[in-house]
Amino acid sequence: MLDTTTRKGRTEAAAPTDAATPALVTENVARSFGALKAVSNVSITIAPGERRAILGPNGAGKTTLFNTICGDHPPTAGRILLFGEDITHLQPHRRARLGIGRTYQSSLLFTGLSVLENLYLAVRGAMPGRLSLWKAGHGDPALAKARRLAEQVRVDTIAGARIDSISHGQRRQVEVGMALASDPRLLMLDEPAAGLSAAERPELVKLIRDLPRELTLILIEHDMDVALPNSDKVTVMKDGEVVVESTPDRIADDPLVQAIYLGGEH
Amino acid sequence: MSLMSRSHWTLTALVLAILVSMPLLLPDFWLSGILGRSLIYGIVALSITFLASYGGFISLAQTMLAGIAGYTVAILAPTAIPASQSAVSYWLAMPLAVLAATLAGAVVGLIAIRTRDIYLLMITLALAVGFSLFAQSNIDWFNGYEGIRNVVGPELFGQPFRAHTVFYYVSLTLAALLYLMVLYVVRTPFGLVLQGIRDNPRRVAALGFDVAVHRIAAFAMAGFIAGCGGVLITFYNIGITPGSIGMTATVNVLVMSVIGGLGHPVGAFIGAVIFTLIDTFAATIYDRDRFNTLIGLVFLGIVVASPDGVLGLGKRLAGRGKRKDAGDGGTPH
Repeated sequence: MLDTTTRKGRTEAAAPTDAATPALVTENVARSFGALKAVSNVSITIAPGERRAILGPNGAGKTTLFNTICGDHPPTAGRILLFGEDITHLQPHRRARLGIGRTYQSSLLFTGLSVLENLYLAVRGAMPGRLSLWKAGHGDPALAKARRLAEQVRVDTIAGARIDSISHGQRRQVEVGMALASDPRLLMLDEPAAGLSAAERPELVKLIRDLPRELTLILIEHDMDVALPNSDKVTVMKDGEVVVESTPDRIADDPLVQAIYLGGEH
Repeated sequence: MSLMSRSHWTLTALVLAILVSMPLLLPDFWLSGILGRSLIYGIVALSITFLASYGGFISLAQTMLAGIAGYTVAILAPTAIPASQSAVSYWLAMPLAVLAATLAGAVVGLIAIRTRDIYLLMITLALAVGFSLFAQSNIDWFNGYEGIRNVVGPELFGQPFRAHTVFYYVSLTLAALLYLMVLYVVRTPFGLVLQGIRDNPRRVAALGFDVAVHRIAAFAMAGFIAGCGGVLITFYNIGITPGSIGMTATVNVLVMSVIGGLGHPVGAFIGAVIFTLIDTFAATIYDRDRFNTLIGLVFLGIVVASPDGVLGLGKRLAGRGKRKDAGDGGTPH
């Protein structure tokens, strides 16, 4: 007899998305590095268009969770569904093509290239014909889009400057621009405001606030003043596990969160 | 931004014009023995510089790839001694040879796909030495230690390929085209991705690019460049032997790239000219038995004075202010 219910068949059957399909589901996701369990048993469901902040002390596993979702460090256990599609075993570039954009905690830009070239590469990465030997002409839509992104993240005035010649704050803005280049359905920002000066911070907060509402956003942020106004829901992690999930207005009163952030009990 | 700034174009055109007029000025020995030889070895060095400068890969397999093209054209050559069973016209043998080097380049890229830095160096060195030893021990195809002789190249404009002027102009044309090809390619999406891989491979993958495919393509392109050089070198030497693609030859080409400067493709040719001059004249200006010591000292001097080669030295002398004006090294339009 033919068994038609192959694994591939099930994955494809799950692919059609509608409003009821969550943007992202992690089912009991775990990631270990040798004996160290960086993330264990994390189950999160994020609705389309939701803005989710992930809080937690250093070493809580926030960035590792990001890495399991974007595929840099795939989970050692559990499942990840992006708009209903199982992406647990996909390579990072495949996940990116399915609509995941992310920034990194420390800037990971191409330092030998210009701001515009960085954005242009990010745009090209999301287009077909990635391995192209045709130089971008003036009418190139990808180049036009890179210029629009430069304006959107307010680096258009330094578009020709090499990354290694611009400030830290400007680099973070380029980072967000690059993450937006693929028109992601899910955008993950890893401490976008970290290391920014007081003068640079409001610029970035405004930039995040101005992002299109239909974009699903996950934000790792230490700074509550940045995280809470920019989120619909808050997840708090500690020691690799989710400890609290709540709304921004109630999270500050949560005793566990106070304990973590005010250092009351450990 | 165009391929190069206007001043770069002017300089390039000026240098090309001087090189084109060289047959009017230089005796034959200088034409093919110094300039021609510099150009053809410079092409192989260019393939190293391309990979190093834009991909961040130091490959020691490029002389081997030139050798694969050289052996291919020699095995297929109609004039070869010993005569080949599979001889074809030179006009067919040459593209086949370059194709073989391109494919072999892709294979090198595939083998070295996960390695970087010192490990990439070791793998490519192992491949190079392995191929040289294989050529030395294989009689049926490579004629062992003796190699293949009398690979004279096709006739061009009714003249033998090795006529000084013909050889010089062919080498110059090919070197210029490959040089411009590299400058063009590094501003294409493929070239930009390659530089992205140099700066941060993980990020390139996160953007949706297939790093492995780009790496293999870069090695294939470097194989193509080295293959073009390999065919010309085989005609220049009127044949090919395992010794000409061995460890010493491999290191020589690397030395050319390094003393010229790995920062820009032109460094390959500057390095090749310096190397050829010293290699040719060291024996006449220094003790005949110890001229290699002089060569070594000169290279040591250059690298100590300027770790990024003659090119870096020139850039520092020209001053940094000017480069800042040009500024960006290129935005992609």
